Amino acid sequence: MSSMAIEATDLCVERGQARVLSDVTFSVAKGDVFALLGGNGAGKSTTLLTFLGFLAPASGEAKVLGQDVQADKKFVHQQSAYLPEAANLYPHLTARENLDYFLALAGVSQTPEDIEAALDHVSLREDARGQRLETYSKGMRQKVAIALAILRKAPILFLDEPTSGLDPVAIDEFNALISKLAESGTTVLMVTHDVYGACQVARRVGLLRRGQLVGLFEAPEGGRISPDEVHQAFAKEHQQ
Amino acid sequence: MKPALIIAAGEWRFWLRSKLGVAALILGFVLITTSLVANSARVGAERASRDSLQTAAEETFRNQPDRHPHRMVHYGHYVFRAPAPLAVVDPGVDPYTGTVMFLEGHHQNSATFAPAFSGARAGALARLTPAMAYQLLVPLVLIVIGFASMAREREGGTDRQLLTAGVAPHDIWLGKVIALLGVSAALLFPLVLAASQALFAGESFVVTTTFIVGYAVYLTVWALMIAAVSTSTRQLSTSLMALMVLWLALCLMVPPVVASFARMASPMPSKIEADLEVAVALREQGDGHNANDPAFNRLRANLLEQYGVHHVEDLPINFRGVVAEAAEADLTDTMNTFAEKKLAGEVAQARVQHWLSLLSPQLAVRHFSMTLASTDLAQHHRFTREAEAARFSFVQGLNRVHAEQMTYTDDINRSRDKGAEQRTRVSAENWRVLDEFRFAPAPASDRLAGSSLFLLVLLLWAAGFAALGRARALALTEAAHA
Ligand SMILES: Nc1ncnc2c1ncn2[C@@H]1O[C@H](COP(=O)(O)OP(=O)(O)O)[C@@H](O)[C@H]1O
Ligand SMILES: [Mg+2]
Repeated sequence: MSSMAIEATDLCVERGQARVLSDVTFSVAKGDVFALLGGNGAGKSTTLLTFLGFLAPASGEAKVLGQDVQADKKFVHQQSAYLPEAANLYPHLTARENLDYFLALAGVSQTPEDIEAALDHVSLREDARGQRLETYSKGMRQKVAIALAILRKAPILFLDEPTSGLDPVAIDEFNALISKLAESGTTVLMVTHDVYGACQVARRVGLLRRGQLVGLFEAPEGGRISPDEVHQAFAKEHQQ
Repeated sequence: MKPALIIAAGEWRFWLRSKLGVAALILGFVLITTSLVANSARVGAERASRDSLQTAAEETFRNQPDRHPHRMVHYGHYVFRAPAPLAVVDPGVDPYTGTVMFLEGHHQNSATFAPAFSGARAGALARLTPAMAYQLLVPLVLIVIGFASMAREREGGTDRQLLTAGVAPHDIWLGKVIALLGVSAALLFPLVLAASQALFAGESFVVTTTFIVGYAVYLTVWALMIAAVSTSTRQLSTSLMALMVLWLALCLMVPPVVASFARMASPMPSKIEADLEVAVALREQGDGHNANDPAFNRLRANLLEQYGVHHVEDLPINFRGVVAEAAEADLTDTMNTFAEKKLAGEVAQARVQHWLSLLSPQLAVRHFSMTLASTDLAQHHRFTREAEAARFSFVQGLNRVHAEQMTYTDDINRSRDKGAEQRTRVSAENWRVLDEFRFAPAPASDRLAGSSLFLLVLLLWAAGFAALGRARALALTEAAHA
């Protein structure tokens, strides 16, 4: 079995009649954080949905822990936690109830203390935790969704714009949290607009443009990717 | 806990927190309970009144003074159809067909006093039977509660959250179905109570249980239909629309279309045409009141020969009574031929309707319910036949008395001769020829056999929607290319 947790090989995906991913190839090693950057409609969410098996490749392969996604979706779902683009949780339930519900379904047993700790990590106000999500702001819902993804204790995280809607302090806390998870061996594939945040936590950054991987940046041993370099590349690609 | 059960519990929590779910559930209970209470009071009152009227009619007949037996033939008698125990849930055709029949010599009257027509002014809801509430309104309640079950997850994107939590798609679907079955079971509770009331009123245990099971299967069909449609639609509004269209079609449109089709497929003459036909046929038969009618010449000749005498006055029996008896038998034969033709026509229409119940679970459960409750058309036919048998029996009993307990000479002279008139009055003891008439439900085994086909139809519908819903659920993880 490959030591790669996530692998895309010549991945082509079509949505409607249009080809939205063309020959995308990249891989993420176990315990690494990979950030996928790109403008709106570049194909970032499509990439995640393909790894989750909700979209089938027209050609090429998407593998998770060496397993072809299309061949065994259940395996992929058991091994991973997914944070959707819109925090898709139940508005009629409180933060705690949402977490209890999805964790019970995932067969993950967490104590109430674990749950409170996770909500502390994402710094969700304590007085809000017993209120229904229909009263939450977008950022608060996003925090609950992040807490859920973490609490799943899955070896792999697929995060679609996890920091959207979060305030700057919360973004910093989130980045710290991801770094800590990676240290403890979790593999993360995240989609983001936040160049600086991505460079802070990711060991590798991919730049996606109109379905094609047009740039790949890797952190030097013991160092970080330079945000300026990525930013320039991003801006250049954007102009074309 | 199993994932499907967690999903089901989650669904219940959603309903209890949504005003729509709670309101629909309460409305469902109110409708069912009011219809049950009203109907059971009505049926109870009718049972008691028909029972006492029957006893009173029998006593009145038997307490008539000594008189000429033919006067009793014309005095006549009433029989009442007692409602079956399960009529508290499903009065079936009872409110539309007559429940009282006047029995007399020389005529077959149709049953009269159909409560639905006298109660028509009380408004539509007054006629909402529990059977209708369960067949038409409870599915609507289930739709209002359940249309969102899967569509809500799909519209809100939580379906993917569930799937990526590792829940198998068929478990999500199953959970939704279980939750809806829970609602059905709760709504079925009043029916169980009402059916147990029928049990105490003497209904068979197997029939009562099967009755409840049939309704449970019917609601299961709807639960599965709702889950299947909700799983097939991405939007709440689409799901609700599709289900409303299905409800309209299956509950409101198909049944009348099937009924008119049945009428077209086996047309029947109108009542006037049919009555005229009988009248024409009867005109050709002799008048039983006139022993000299040439129609009875042959009967007279046979009798004279049998007893070896030359004049009817010399016969040991009253020839007029013999004629009355023979004429009644002939007349009844003719009337029965026409009556059976009419019943056969109705049965043919009913048979077409029974087959077409494949088209709608509502039709299937309606026939199932009436058959088991013993309130279907076949039972009305049986009442008609039993009443006719009772009529024929007491009329012929009186005609026998007429033939045996007076002389021909007295009988023909009774309007001229006071003494003869006295001698042709027979003892009131003879009025005991009248049998007690009690209309009982059909045997349990007949009803079970008759209803099993409809139960099978319901099971087929359930299996179809189960397969569809499961397939649609499995398609949720099938990668979309679009
Ligand atoms: N449901 C869909 N059906 C058809 N095309 C879609 C659908 N969703 C997204 N697309 C198209 O796919 C392309 C990539 O979309 P997406 O992966 O969501 O972009 P990103 O997440 O990078 O903003 C876009 O051109 C978009 O128009
Ligand atoms: Mg996106």
